[in-house]
Amino acid sequence: MPTWNPRLSRRRLLLGAGASLMLSGCEKFFDAVSQNKHVQSLLESAEGASRRAQRLLTRRGKLAQEFSPADISPAFRANGNPPPLTMDYSADAQNRWTKWRLEVSGLVEQPARFSLQELQAMPARTQITRHDCVEGWSVIGKWKGVRLEEILHRVKPTAQARYVVFRCMDSDGDGNLYYESIDLVDAVHPQTILAYELNDRPLPIDNGAPLRLRVETQLGYKHAKYIRALEFVADLKSIGQGKGGYWEDQGYEWYAGI
Amino acid sequence: MEENSAQSARPGAALVYRHNRITRLAHWLSALALMILFMSGLQIFNAHPRLYWGSTSEPDKAFFAIGAAQDDGDARGFVELYGRRIDTTGFLGVQPGVFGPAARAFPSWLTVPGYYSLAAARRWHFFFGWLLALTGALYVMYNLAVGHLRKFLVTPRDLRKAPAMIAYYLHLRKNSPQEGEYNPLQKIAYTAVFALLAPLILLSGMAMSPQLDVAVHWLPAAFGGRQSARAIHFILAFGFLGFALGHVFMVLTQGFFNNMRSMTTGWYREKPAAPARPVEARRAEPAASKESEPDADLES
Repeated sequence: MPTWNPRLSRRRLLLGAGASLMLSGCEKFFDAVSQNKHVQSLLESAEGASRRAQRLLTRRGKLAQEFSPADISPAFRANGNPPPLTMDYSADAQNRWTKWRLEVSGLVEQPARFSLQELQAMPARTQITRHDCVEGWSVIGKWKGVRLEEILHRVKPTAQARYVVFRCMDSDGDGNLYYESIDLVDAVHPQTILAYELNDRPLPIDNGAPLRLRVETQLGYKHAKYIRALEFVADLKSIGQGKGGYWEDQGYEWYAGI
Repeated sequence: MEENSAQSARPGAALVYRHNRITRLAHWLSALALMILFMSGLQIFNAHPRLYWGSTSEPDKAFFAIGAAQDDGDARGFVELYGRRIDTTGFLGVQPGVFGPAARAFPSWLTVPGYYSLAAARRWHFFFGWLLALTGALYVMYNLAVGHLRKFLVTPRDLRKAPAMIAYYLHLRKNSPQEGEYNPLQKIAYTAVFALLAPLILLSGMAMSPQLDVAVHWLPAAFGGRQSARAIHFILAFGFLGFALGHVFMVLTQGFFNNMRSMTTGWYREKPAAPARPVEARRAEPAASKESEPDADLES
């Protein structure tokens, strides 16, 4: 039975004050536990659950939604590191990437180097897909490139190879080079391509020229730009800080399917 | 809070076992998970504090934004909805910081963690998302198995009685029109949460996942595109906030300690009807009409 007792209002006022004290206490509490190693590893257990559950729901080879040319965004937002500032990079950009080579090494039977012309001569895939940034925004663009599976056929990963590591030319303010990795499940997905064209034009520098990854099953930070080399490895521990990517080393999930 | 010992000691006020272990466990896990999901969600929103309809987020097409703008050298926080802007400096958009005013959509005291970290907020969000989904599944399956679900699912009859229940809460009506364990307004609230809010917030969250876009194409499309799903997910979160605030208000006003005891130990003290009026006389008549039976104000 709702009854309003004015004598209780002071108690309520105190309750309110208590609640706001609790809130600021809460903030400190969550900040402290967020940085606790045990809490972090507990929270990280959700990543494996998401990966397994989501992959269980996904039939192999099924495609992410492809859009019509009318859906293409007026501008494809570029994010992340600024373009590489090295002399080699800018000189090569001037020369339309004649010196640039994609180096493929690691656990493969036939290590190889491909020029951009060689990649462009391989069977190409064109797709209009949505790019979803971890921050929350989305853009639609039209990509053309060579399927990563095509490269796999040529270099023949050994039975031990589990991941492809993408070595990039861009770096953050502290000189840490960008890198990323995906497993072979995503590497052979039909829409996983090494793209050299965006919206029918050579890949712009801001979007990762001369070559970038499109892995449509995952969020934007997995789509390595300014790729220099691919490396096939059995595990990711010995690379970078061991988490499988530049942003992963800073706490982001390696599995960015959600 | 209103519950006093005199009332509890009144003859006829009996302890009843109201909430079983599964319900109590599910309640507190959900309460914790919802709070963390809401607060870490605000932090995730802070990474791109704008909402759009459709598949993409074209910069000039946001229908909702929280932001900061310079006004005569002062940083002003604002909230903008369909072009209408209100100043929210100090709360949303711009907060006082250690080094002066800082641009931040939702203030740090509302987010988990308080410091800016999209990575950490996502970790919290997905862990407690899983926890809530599993808790909800356990609760629903258990109640389906024992047939309790229909106790709080709304029926057309409840809808007809809702106005009477509102009148009762507003003191415009003496007796509660409640029949079962839950009153019509509770049933409406719980049905909305279990049958609408919860499934929709889960699905709209999943509609933002690139991998699930591959698995179930129709999911983002069903919400009108990925950015629409994001907007709906955000709006529904405030639906949960509204429910939680209403729920806590009812618990505070309808016998705080009694409700807390029943959700902690399971035991609820049934109150005699209308504690402000002489009740003993009525209690003495076993043949009292249905409407004057002890009204359990079951907001818990």
